[in-house]
Amino acid sequence: MKTIINGIIKENPVLVLLLGLCSTLAITTNFENAYIMGLCVTIVLVFSNIITSLIKKFVTKNVEVPVYILIISTLVTIIEILLQNYVPAIYEVMGIYLPLIVVNCIVLGRALSVASKTNVRTSFKDALGIGIGYTLVLMIIALFREIFGNNTLTIINSTSNLFGFKLMYKIFDNSILFPMEFLVKPAGAFLTLGILIGIFNSIKGGNNDEPN
Amino acid sequence: MKFNVLKGPFIKSKNSTNKIMKNLFISLIPIILFSFYKNGIIPYVHNKTDILGLFYPLIFILIGLISTFIIEYLYTYFFLKKRKQELKEYIKNSFSIFPGLFLALILPINTPISILIFGCFMAIVIGKMLYGGFGHNIFNPALIGLLFVVSSYSAIINLNGGYLNAYEVDSLSSATPLTNVNLVEGIGTYDSLVKPYGTIKDFFFGTIPGAVGETSAFLCIIAFIYLLFKKVIKWKIPIIYISTVFIMTYIIGSVNNLGIWYPLFQIFSGGLMFGAVFMATDPVTSPTTSIGQIIYALFLGILTVTFRYLTNAPEGVMTSILTMNMFVMLLDRLGSANKLPIKKIIIPFIISILLILTISFKVGNSFKTTKNSSDSNFKIIEKTNNYYIVSEKGNGGPIKAKLTIKDKKITNIEIIENNETASYYKLVEESNYLDKLIDNQSEIENVDTVSGATISSTALKKMFTNVINDMESEQ
Repeated sequence: MKTIINGIIKENPVLVLLLGLCSTLAITTNFENAYIMGLCVTIVLVFSNIITSLIKKFVTKNVEVPVYILIISTLVTIIEILLQNYVPAIYEVMGIYLPLIVVNCIVLGRALSVASKTNVRTSFKDALGIGIGYTLVLMIIALFREIFGNNTLTIINSTSNLFGFKLMYKIFDNSILFPMEFLVKPAGAFLTLGILIGIFNSIKGGNNDEPN
Repeated sequence: MKFNVLKGPFIKSKNSTNKIMKNLFISLIPIILFSFYKNGIIPYVHNKTDILGLFYPLIFILIGLISTFIIEYLYTYFFLKKRKQELKEYIKNSFSIFPGLFLALILPINTPISILIFGCFMAIVIGKMLYGGFGHNIFNPALIGLLFVVSSYSAIINLNGGYLNAYEVDSLSSATPLTNVNLVEGIGTYDSLVKPYGTIKDFFFGTIPGAVGETSAFLCIIAFIYLLFKKVIKWKIPIIYISTVFIMTYIIGSVNNLGIWYPLFQIFSGGLMFGAVFMATDPVTSPTTSIGQIIYALFLGILTVTFRYLTNAPEGVMTSILTMNMFVMLLDRLGSANKLPIKKIIIPFIISILLILTISFKVGNSFKTTKNSSDSNFKIIEKTNNYYIVSEKGNGGPIKAKLTIKDKKITNIEIIENNETASYYKLVEESNYLDKLIDNQSEIENVDTVSGATISSTALKKMFTNVINDMESEQ
């Protein structure tokens, strides 16, 4: 349990380690994309950590990066094929970011720094914690950006053929609160992420370097 | 040993921050009164507005001014945890009213009050306090506020009436003179650019549509002379900035055989004068060394012309000042070196002069060629007795549409493909522009374009005209 919470708070991949920012900024325009991306990364992370941890004794230092990349890309390809078959809408939205999970620094970083050094149990917990932390941050950013940038909240839309129903809400009427269009643009993503990191650091009480 | 560096700006003269603020405010009073006259008194005298509309410009400016003050006060109270004497001292010396005042002066008069307050909030919190407060900010806070307002709410402001005040809305059809320059037709003529608003004299004194307080070039020059006399600002930035724009637009104008009115029109319209005098010279975000100031101003001019002609944004002053604000530290480092490195200084000057010449001739010549071939964007893709499928170049690429015809009349239009900016295209849809075109197709030249989405609506209009011409030529 401690390892899982460590991944969510103390070593949060986006807010503390600042890893995987590319996908964080690009995918969070809409709540649904955010949690599906988080889910995909978590699944890849869990399996890659388990497999890495299982084969760690056979992998020498010289070839570890190619071997881990191979494992991760196999997993990503599996997920990609599944998504393409069952929810093509999400597959199209994810575009280039899905194949990019292969080189997502979170997955490779955890494989190198944790899974290749500890047993299967710990690396599984670590992957779960990091995955949940990543998904939570993605969801918070997407929630903020979609509600204030577009006045809507999409929970189930492109996966509706899987569930059989749609869940989309109009939060505010456009005449009450004008949608802030800049939040859906890339600049809004940077701004939201920056402010979130600021709030997170001030709550956590990290480094207090006063600027001179 | 530890050295404590105080906050900038460091001013050599005896002027205290307080005195600078007072002088800046005095120089703005004529501009505020003029905007009251133009947007309040003239519509009231012509019975276009009620007593609230008479004082609305003043209320608008006052709300901007007060809201930045309150936001900054609350921020210092809650986040910086300053209390009593310290708080009073901080607020007194931090120019806290000016971002809101400037922001109110550079926004269109029809901006809803809530959006003005949103802009003030962004100006103070994002533009100023998050950088560490007054003296630490990199970007001009008022322009950061404007940037957020323009990037999120320009469509709403345009729906609300845009730049035109109650008196102008009856007599004029397009938003600001500068939006006319950016039409697909090319560079424009005296009749299309200046005549709808009067003469060049009206541009100089400021009785043209525009933002609340930035239309009058004359009052900006008076304020500039006053501030120069009081030693609040240095002469280099405004003079070099405006003359660079003048020279470049003069070249562009003379390549296209336009008279001296063309560069004058360019420097008097839009926010150029106001921006050059009040925004570009902001003591915190502009260079302090004279070499730095010269290069800064030269590049401001180059960027403004580039943005005005080569992008879809007709204004360009805000974007160029914000862009150059990023380089202030570099320019100052160059200018304050102990032994002035001649080689290093000559290079930026040569680059800027080359840029001035190439950009102006390039732009001038490109307009010369598009003038002749502006109609060739229209293409008929498919044609039968019942419908046309045509394409026309819009703002973001080709617009494809299917026009159903019956008895040589267009009965329906269906847009198949468009790459227009969504917020602009929404304006076209919401104003029922397409229906208007269908209803008035016999006198299509009289249909007003949608203000705020001029290029898209002009493209649609051209599409109609071309199809009608094509149908008539078949008879």
